Formats: sequence, structure tokens, C-alpha cells
Amino acid sequence: MSTPIIEMTNVNKWYGTYHALRNINFTVNEGDKIVVCGPSGSGKSTMIRTLNYLEAHQEGTIRVNGTDMHSKMKDVDKVRMDVGMVFQHFNLFPHLTILQNLMAGPMWVRGISEEEARKTAMMYLERVRIPEQADKYPGQLSGGQQQRVAIARSLCMKPKVMLFDEPTSALDPEMVSEVLDTMVSLAKDGMTMVCVTHEMGFAKAVADRVIFMDEGEIIEENDPINFFDNPQSKRTQNFLGQILQH
Amino acid sequence: MKLNRRIFTFATGVALALSASVSFAGEAMDRVMSSGTLKVATDANWAPQSFLNDENKMDGFDVDVAREVAKRLGVEVEFVTPSWDIITAGNWNGRWDLSVGSMTPTKSRAEVLSFPEVYYYTPASVAVHKDSAAQSVSDLDGKNVGASTASTFDLYLRKDLTIDAEGTPAFDYKITPGAIKSYKDGTAAMDDLRLGDGVRIDGMVGSLPAILAGIENNYPLRVLGDPVFYEPLSLAIDKGDTEFNDKLAGIVQEMRADGTLKTLSEKWYGIDYTTAIE
Amino acid sequence: MLFADTVVGDPAVHKPKIILIMVMVATVLFTLFGLNDTIFGEFMRPVIGEPKESGFFGNASIGLVMAIIVVINIVLIGFLPFRIQILIVWFELLLLFLTFFYSFGLNYQFIQSKIWFMITQGVFTTLYISAISIILASVLAIVGAIAKLSSNGFAFAIASFYTSFFRGLPLLMQVYLIYLGLPQLGYVIDAVPAGVMALTLCYGAYMTEIFRAGIQSINKGQWEASRSMGFGFGLTMRRIILPQAMPLIIPPTGNQFIAMLKDSSLVSVIGVWELMFLARTLGNKDFRHMEMLITAALIYWVLTVCLELVQSRIERHYRTASH
Repeated sequence: MSTPIIEMTNVNKWYGTYHALRNINFTVNEGDKIVVCGPSGSGKSTMIRTLNYLEAHQEGTIRVNGTDMHSKMKDVDKVRMDVGMVFQHFNLFPHLTILQNLMAGPMWVRGISEEEARKTAMMYLERVRIPEQADKYPGQLSGGQQQRVAIARSLCMKPKVMLFDEPTSALDPEMVSEVLDTMVSLAKDGMTMVCVTHEMGFAKAVADRVIFMDEGEIIEENDPINFFDNPQSKRTQNFLGQILQH
Repeated sequence: MKLNRRIFTFATGVALALSASVSFAGEAMDRVMSSGTLKVATDANWAPQSFLNDENKMDGFDVDVAREVAKRLGVEVEFVTPSWDIITAGNWNGRWDLSVGSMTPTKSRAEVLSFPEVYYYTPASVAVHKDSAAQSVSDLDGKNVGASTASTFDLYLRKDLTIDAEGTPAFDYKITPGAIKSYKDGTAAMDDLRLGDGVRIDGMVGSLPAILAGIENNYPLRVLGDPVFYEPLSLAIDKGDTEFNDKLAGIVQEMRADGTLKTLSEKWYGIDYTTAIE
Repeated sequence: MLFADTVVGDPAVHKPKIILIMVMVATVLFTLFGLNDTIFGEFMRPVIGEPKESGFFGNASIGLVMAIIVVINIVLIGFLPFRIQILIVWFELLLLFLTFFYSFGLNYQFIQSKIWFMITQGVFTTLYISAISIILASVLAIVGAIAKLSSNGFAFAIASFYTSFFRGLPLLMQVYLIYLGLPQLGYVIDAVPAGVMALTLCYGAYMTEIFRAGIQSINKGQWEASRSMGFGFGLTMRRIILPQAMPLIIPPTGNQFIAMLKDSSLVSVIGVWELMFLARTLGNKDFRHMEMLITAALIYWVLTVCLELVQSRIERHYRTASH
């Protein structure tokens, strides 16, 4: 249980003169479920996007699955195949059916046969409980359904780790739980996950560790019980006070 | 047409500036003999010299002359129809071997082309609408006169015509037009003139055979006075191949001597234009 | 269609004031035109007497009658449903045009004797030159658009120089430059390839901008999603971005093709026997230019209409393919 899949060491990133990430250090081991939270603009999305090189960092090292993310395009593409990512706005391919969305990656990148890709795709569609939508287009589905499809699409690539970038923030409130349920069941199956989210209920239920970020820094990293009941930093206390008072 | 003309001038300039490729003696001759085909560039829009006949094939006086030349060379003939500007710009790069296009061998053209032999003469005449009051050529002084662009008729109106071919009859500039209107070809000038006296132009200068052909086809035109000049018309080839030049000159002289040219002229014009009438 | 207001009043052409104005304006126009020596004058002979001597009275009364006929026609059309209105107005305008052409007193036998050649030689050449050019131009446009969107300064510079240069020169000049200029560099190019090359380069430059705008309009999230799954650049472009950009690219590309069909007439200057070349030359011997020009005009128009139909088919296809 202690093989590190992601290691960030002294990572710094700037947008021009704006210091977006400051000295980020953290490690994700196989099977870990990490929740990252923090106020908007705290750098949590930027941080998770550096993990599969959708954003480039300028200083420090990021190793994913043993590959240094400052290296060649070929390596980056290899890492990306093993790292699933779920976006706030789903980003399904609107010109492909649900089934085609799921089969695209395995067929085009992994070179898996169409038949096998279809079998895998249907399996994961059933897993996220919408097999009947297979032949529809993304635009015909609700937001919650689309996000479940997006999760299934990532799973079809058989990733070693899943990144979630605010997967429920763009959803109508009544659809949040169906997506969270999917994520919880994924966690129970032992998937390694890094989630940027404000869903504290989810954090309490599944997270091994919760990371609080502010102004590009990791302020606090703790197990959920201590994080929620006994936050160390003043900024964490303020943040939790704001989002939990409702 | 102005723009067209300018582009042409520019393109010619570029062509001349870059002109590094000089053909070698005998090159054109060898090409014709080895391919067994004489490629002739001629206009398809110049009845009765060259045009598309009822079977949509090239036909006309120039076309017949070209056929005869090819026959005497012992090769097949093939016609291509680039625009007149491109033919007279020279530097053909072997795209075609010969122009039989009633071309006047002017000095400036002689800088880019060789003229093996004059094969006939065209009287250049002034035409007006049949309702025109003009009685002599000089009545068009100060009026709008049309001619096809870059042609000898155009140059005549501009008083800038030099025909340096041997046996060119002398001529005077008898018109001082108010404005010169340039056309794509002589037919376009005739089409403007037929609209009425002075509607677009008051008169035009063109080749007498073309004007007569128009009148025969019910163009309401009238030939004004005597021809203003006689244009010698020659075969043209790209510069550089004297062997080909001499061979063609010999063939044309032969055709004149045995009466072939005269017969063809009478076939197409009803008149023998192959000698200048002074 | 534009936004249709839910409040629907009487059509404008049914308002008495507007009908009156239309009748007055039409009367004045027809009167000024002076129709008493035309066939309409003959129709009015019982009222105005000898048409040629009827003068202003004749002209004015013919004008009034004509105006009333035209306005009644307009008012009646106003009662019809949308689709039938379109059909009738199209039909009437077409009839007007044909009457206009008819008034030239064309020799139809001559047209009949030439039209087959115009189609087999002219239309065929025009179409295949345009088709080859539009395909090559599309390829060029994709490459150009990618280069223009790339962060590679070298590629961007070449692409932007290319679009600037070839959009900046008249197409006719490009035809001349390629046909006369390339041989100076040692390659003697034939007329048809020279024409295709000029059309390709010129339209490729315009279409580069169309493709660039199409590609740019696709949400960045689509790139991120496919790149995060390990799709390479080419795969993302081919399978994800271009298919989505197509509905945006197709309509202006169709317009370009229609424009190219007509611009291909410029290659007639280097002696290619396409439709325009034949329109100018076929009537030469018999002085039947109007016949050939009008025939060619109608052929161009029919071709354009066909292309418009194909275009709307393709557009509909892409609309239904992605919801």
C-alpha cells in the first residue's frame, strides 16, 4: 500500500508574475483517496491539472507512475493514458454517441478491438447505471448523467489513478448525489483518487487525507476526522466555518 | 482591360528580368521533329483568321496556313489557345513551337520573338457606325476611337507604331483621337460601335477583313476611306533557334511561290491579301 | 429565419395607404418608361387610339393600367401562405428574366447547335478544375489553419505570409505569375495545372481563415478531454476537433466553392477551354456573342443552384449528426 503513484516535490508555478503554486509537496500512494479543498483562486485546480501536464509547472518535480512530467511529449502521452481525468464541465465529445465516447479512447489509443471496447464500455455504463443511454448523444442527457458518462469514459482507459476537478460544481443540486454515489462506489473498489471538491460529506465518507490550499500553498494536510474536528490553521477554520454553516 | 494590360506588363517584366533560360540553336526544331508534332499557338476568337467552326474545331486562314506548314515539315499539327498577351510576351519555354496568329512583326515584339517570314498583309481600316456623319478619317479627330489592346491599331492611334518588317508600306498618322478606348479584341470594339453612333465610341481601327466580316453579319457599320496602313503579318517563333527560323522562312516562301498562300487567302477573304497593295 | 414576433398584423401590402402609394409610384415609373410603342400600347389601342400618336395621355394610361395589374398581383400574393408566396414570386421573377433575354431576339438554333459542346467541353472542364482546386485548397487550408494557430513562430510566419500574399493579389495576376513565372524557375507548367495551382493557392488562403475560425470556435475543454486521455495532436484534430468544426466550416466553404466555380473562368486567359472561354469564342465566327454569353450565364446559374442544394443537404446532415 505504499507505492507512490504521484510525487510532487517543491513545485512552483507562475502565470506571468502571479505565483499560482508555491512549494507544493505531497505524495499519493496507491489506493489513496485525497480530497483537495480551498477557496476559489487558491490554486487547487491548477495543482490537479499539473498532474497530467494540462498545465506546465516551472520549478520542482512531478513524478507520476514513475515518469518525470518534465520530460518528452511521448512520456506525457503515456502518463495521460494511465491517469483518468473528470472535468467540471464534463467535456464529453458532442458529435459522438455515449457508447462512441466510451469506446474512443480504448480503440484509438490502446488499440483494443471494437468488440472488446464495446464490451468494456457497456460494462462501465452499467456500473454508472445508464446503459440504456448508450446510443444517445451527450446533448440529450442531463448534467448528472453526462458526468457519470465522463467518469465511465475515464474508467474505460483502465487508469491507475483518477483526478476529479470539481466534478459536481456545474450540476444542478438534485444531480449532485448521483455523481457522488458513483464516486463513492469507485472509492470502495480501491481506485486511487485525487478530488478537488467542496463536498465535505464526500470527504468525510471516503477521504484518507484532506488537503486545504490557499493562495497557492498547502496550508494543512490531515486525516478527515482531525481536519474537520480539529483544524490547525486559522485559515482552515475560517474556510470550514464558511462552507459548513449552512 | 486596363488592369489586364498592366498585369501583363508586370508579368512580362518579371519574365524578362528572370529570363535566364535561352533556347539553344536547333532546340525547337529538334523538339518538333522528334515529337512529330508542331504545336501552334493561335487565337480562337479571331474569325476569319482563326476561330471555332460549326464542328467546334479550330478553323480559319491562319489555321489553314499552320496546317500547310506542318504538312511541309512532315509533322502533325496541334493547336493551343493562350491569350494574345501571353503569346506576344515571348519566352514560351517550349510550351508551343510556333505562332500563326496574324502577328505584326513590330520592333518591340522582335525583342522577345523571332519573325521567320511575312505571310500576308492586312489593310488596317477605320470603321464607323453607318449613321455617322464622318466622311473622312480625319473627321474622327477629337472623338472616342476604339481598338483592341496591345494591337498595332492601338499603337497607330497612339502614334507609336513602328513596323520594321521588310516591305512595309509607308504610312501617316491620319487621326488624332480625343480618347482611345482599348478592347480585349477587335470584336469587342465592333460590339460597342454597333450600339449606335457615338453611344460608346465614335469609330474604331481594326483589320479590314474582320470589319468586312462583321458587316456581312449585319453589323451596322461602314468602312471609312482607304486603309490607313498595311500591316505585314508574320509567323513568330521563340528567340534563339535560327535553324527552325530558316526552315520556316523557306516553307513560307515556297508557299507564296507555288500560289498556295494566294489560294488560301482567296478561300477565306475572297481577296488576295498576300501582297501589299500600295 | 429572423426572430418572428408573436404579434402578427395585416401584411403591409394590404394596408390601403401602402397600396395607394404603390399604385402611384408604379404609375409614375411606367409612365416615365414610355410604353406606348411596345406591345402594351397595342393592347390599349381601343382606349388610347393609335399608340404612336397617343403621347403623354397614352403613356400615362398604359402606366396606370400596368401599375394596377402589378399591384393587384402583389396584393393577391399577400394572401397566400409563405411557401406558395415563394413559389409564385420565384416563378414571376424568372419569367421576367426570360422575357428580358427573349427581347434580344436570340437565335435559338445557334444555341442548340452549340450547347452540347459547351456542356461536354466547357462545363466539364470548369467543374473538374474547380473540384480539384477546392479539394487541394481544403487540404492547404487545414495545414494553414493549424500553422496559424500554432505557437511555432516559423510556421505561423509562413502561414500568415502566405494568406496575406495570396489574399492580397488579384487572382488573375496569380494566374499570370504562375503560368509565366514558374518556367523562369525551370519548371514549365501546363495551362490546366497552372490554373488549378492559382485557384488552390488563392482559395486556400481564404479558406485558411475559415478553417482557423472553425477550429478556434471549439471549446478548449474538448482539447483537454482528448489530450488527457492520451490522444495525440493528429488524432484529436481528426477525430474530435474537425468533426465538430465542420458545421461551422461547411457553409462558408460552400460559398467559396460557388465563387471558385465562377473565378475558374479566369484560367481562360491561358487558353483552357472552360465554359467562359467557349462563351467568348464559340459565337465569334457568326457574331453570336449574346447567344453564347446568355447561355453560359444560365449554365453558371444552374450550376450554382445545384451547388446550393448540395450545400444545404450537407449542412442538414451535420446538423442532425450532432445534436
